Amino acid sequence: MAKPTDLVQGTLDLLILKTISLEPKHGWAIAKRIQLVSQDALQIQQGSLYPALHRLEQQAWIEAEWRTTETGRMAKFYSLTPSGREQLEKELANWVRLSAAINVVVQEA
Amino acid sequence: MRILDKARLRLRSLFRRRKVEFELEAELAFHLDQLIEENIASGMTPEAARWAARRTIGGATQYKEECRDMRSVNFVEDFVRDVRHTIRSLAKSLGFTAVVVTTLALGFGVTTVIFTIVHGVLLRPLDYPKPDQLMYLTAESPVTGATGTALSAPEYLEFRQMNQSFADVGAYSTGGAAYTTGEVNLTAGDRPLRVRSISVDAPLLKALRIQPEHGRFFRDEETARWTGTLPPPIAMLSHELWRTGFGGRPIIGQKVEIEGRPHEIVGIMPPGADVMDHHTQIWLPLWLHPNAARQREAHVLYVVARRKDGASAEAAQAELSAFLENWGDRAGVTDHVPIKRPIRSIDHTLRLRTLQDAIVGNASRAIWVLQAAVGFVLLIVCANLTNLVMARAGSRSREFALRTSLGASRGRLLRQSITEGVVMAGAGGILGLWLANAGLKMLIRAYPTSIPRTSDLRIDLPVLLVVLAISTGTALLFGFLSLGRTRSGSLASALKDGARGVSSTLHDYTRRGLVIAQVAFAVMLVIGAGLLVQTVYNLTKIDAGFDRSRLVTFSMTMPMANSNPDTRAQAYQRILDRLRAIPGVLGTVAMSGLPPHRTPDAVATPIENHISEDGRPSEIVDYYQFVMGDYFRTMGIPIVTGRGFESTDNASQGKLAIVNETLARRIWKGQNPIGKRLRPPGASFGATDDAWHTVIGVAKDVRQQGLERQPGSELYLSLDQHRVSPPSMNVVMRTTLPPTSLSATIERVVSEVDASVPVVRLRDMDSVFAESIRRPRLLAQLLGAFATLALVLSAIGTYGVLSYMVTERRREIGIRIALGAVRSQVLTQIMKQGLQVTAAGIAIGLAGALALNRLISSMLFGIQPTDTVTIAFVIAVITVVAMVASWLPAWRASRVDPNIVLKNE
Repeated sequence: MAKPTDLVQGTLDLLILKTISLEPKHGWAIAKRIQLVSQDALQIQQGSLYPALHRLEQQAWIEAEWRTTETGRMAKFYSLTPSGREQLEKELANWVRLSAAINVVVQEA
Repeated sequence: MRILDKARLRLRSLFRRRKVEFELEAELAFHLDQLIEENIASGMTPEAARWAARRTIGGATQYKEECRDMRSVNFVEDFVRDVRHTIRSLAKSLGFTAVVVTTLALGFGVTTVIFTIVHGVLLRPLDYPKPDQLMYLTAESPVTGATGTALSAPEYLEFRQMNQSFADVGAYSTGGAAYTTGEVNLTAGDRPLRVRSISVDAPLLKALRIQPEHGRFFRDEETARWTGTLPPPIAMLSHELWRTGFGGRPIIGQKVEIEGRPHEIVGIMPPGADVMDHHTQIWLPLWLHPNAARQREAHVLYVVARRKDGASAEAAQAELSAFLENWGDRAGVTDHVPIKRPIRSIDHTLRLRTLQDAIVGNASRAIWVLQAAVGFVLLIVCANLTNLVMARAGSRSREFALRTSLGASRGRLLRQSITEGVVMAGAGGILGLWLANAGLKMLIRAYPTSIPRTSDLRIDLPVLLVVLAISTGTALLFGFLSLGRTRSGSLASALKDGARGVSSTLHDYTRRGLVIAQVAFAVMLVIGAGLLVQTVYNLTKIDAGFDRSRLVTFSMTMPMANSNPDTRAQAYQRILDRLRAIPGVLGTVAMSGLPPHRTPDAVATPIENHISEDGRPSEIVDYYQFVMGDYFRTMGIPIVTGRGFESTDNASQGKLAIVNETLARRIWKGQNPIGKRLRPPGASFGATDDAWHTVIGVAKDVRQQGLERQPGSELYLSLDQHRVSPPSMNVVMRTTLPPTSLSATIERVVSEVDASVPVVRLRDMDSVFAESIRRPRLLAQLLGAFATLALVLSAIGTYGVLSYMVTERRREIGIRIALGAVRSQVLTQIMKQGLQVTAAGIAIGLAGALALNRLISSMLFGIQPTDTVTIAFVIAVITVVAMVASWLPAWRASRVDPNIVLKNE
């Protein structure tokens, strides 16, 4: 099982930002969504997820709101702030550049 | 915007902590529940699902801690929590805390006091604009050893004309006429005041660039006129005298009586304005008698000069050296001019130095010695604290290991340790500052004149910054030291070994090294202090040449304006007669200069049938002592040959003189001095002519200019014979009565004869002697205090390390005793370890002391820096202290009950 530490440094932030960029989600949903989309390749541990969420919140890139889930429970939903959206674009651009570069190196070498 | 958002979030986490924490709990709980539901959905039983979920999630505490770390307010929040925790845990080990805080407070306290003195006296520039431009010019006579003496008026004028390097050159005099001592009688109201006065010329005020607070300066034409008439009756008051003596009310243009003559107050100086640390209260226009102004022998003016912008001190010095080559040729004189290489006793050279250097003078070496001593104390304090904290860290490694396993990060633990350091350093710092403030005030009150520039001394910003820097450094050191121990041992072994911690020989070496360093520093300090204490003892035991027991002295000054030498003599005579009539008074005499700490006169005195080495008919006599009454018997000065003055001499026409042994030996080398004749200049004591005086006796040498100085040549003249008197006289009474019980009677007697004469400095001769050695005594006392502190701290250090070693080895000792070791053997072994460490410290300290004590050799009197008795005594004292410090832990070790120790394991 892939451990969060296997993620490229700083990638977790990108994944979280990307995941909530469409609609607000609570922590559990974020982890599930990443797991689902990555076809179980990425399993985000609670121990990395919540500190990351708190870090992003402190940076004011995301904001949180308590809402009712579809099952009727209260959960903390995270959504992007305008500056978070800018940050996501920046990090996406970075990621594209970086992964392209890594690809080139991996294929050429 | 983002910054505001961030700030809002942080404030929220800080002030609504409970809510934030609650939300975090709820969030994690939600996550857990979702996981459980998922597990149930995949077919597990609820029970199994719960277990599985918990296993997957792991330690929630750890996540919470991490989440908290993410919210950076933690730093404040943790600090508050850490402080609380620290206070709790420090309160638990009160002994440790008390020792650390007290040690820190003492360390900070002494450092602050001494650094305040170093900063205030040595480093802080003088309170004048561009103070580094100010230079001080004095005469030096390498032949006689006199330094820092005044210039003659012709020399001052010549220097003003010749120099190129100085923008302003001014002069002042604390006397102005012979015998005055820089003090005048000031009548404000009905009581005469004796105030510190200074006579200045207008260029001096220009050179200092001080502006009057109110009123105006003296004008050029009002000062240094040097005509036969008296100076204009004007004066300026110091701010302080204006406040205390005149209540700060408008006084410009009003008249006060100075020396019995009405003077107009033309200005008030700003607060603290002074020249050469004279504690000036009243400023008068400089005036010299035309004769004194012409004489090259009359050294009466001190010169302060301000360098031109851009002119360096070196350039000024080089220029002065060039002048000295041909000063006489330039000035057109051959007699008594400064020459570069003095060969005769009356030749002198001139010396320039910065005003600050001149003010601080020889106090600077003593102050640096104290600073070094305090540096040693501080090093000992640091070594001690390091040891204490290391020992505590050792015993706390279990606590730290436990907290690490519970999820505290290394950073958190370090913060916690540093917080402890901050709390203790803070407490120590505050207590230390309080101690320093109290100590400084006490020091200044107890020794008002031992330290220059005391009026400027206060604990100010630079000093506080240094103390803050030291405290912060200590706090950080603390933090790293406390935690350093956990790094060396692994978590598991720390937990397993428990309180015993990880025994590491490296740490033992460090600890022993620190104790050795402490002992070494203590040895150096105690030896230094021992030498200075011996110096003070030697100075108090010195034979000043007279019997100082049961002597009471005071000084009195006759206002110059309403008295001439004749009437003064009559008034003094009446006062002396009435004082002699007081019951319990055995004898009363008066003299011009009070031994053992008077200034030299250096009067060129013609001597009959005698040519000096440089071909002159006169010799320089160091001291002129004008006496009234039965001087030698009352003072207890033995007459070696011939006789003293007698009352029958008073009426005789032939003038008589008594010389001291040094003068007789120097001038008449082996011949019988009785009957020889010399001719003191009459103008020097108010006589109208120069008369030949016949020597009738030789008196034993009396120390005049400081106890530690060799006596100079001295000539005694009886004023009873001349019926004249200088304006100031010192009265000495031999009596069994203490000065306090005499003072009312004395004041009544004096005021009955002349109400304008104040009685000042009434005290017994022992106080005069104590005053004359105040600086070495202060140095010895301070250094003694530091040495004691060093000794106590080293003892605490030795004790601490040994008892820690004993604690660590309890198990081993228990086993050895269980196996039959004799308790006395254990005791001896532990004590031996303590003494080995001490011996190493003593050896290093001795080497250091021998290297360093040369630096204080100039402050010693009657003792060598390598004095074996002192060194042996110091070694003995330190060994005894070390034995006591080692015995207690050793004794505790020998009492170890093997049953208890082994059961606990």
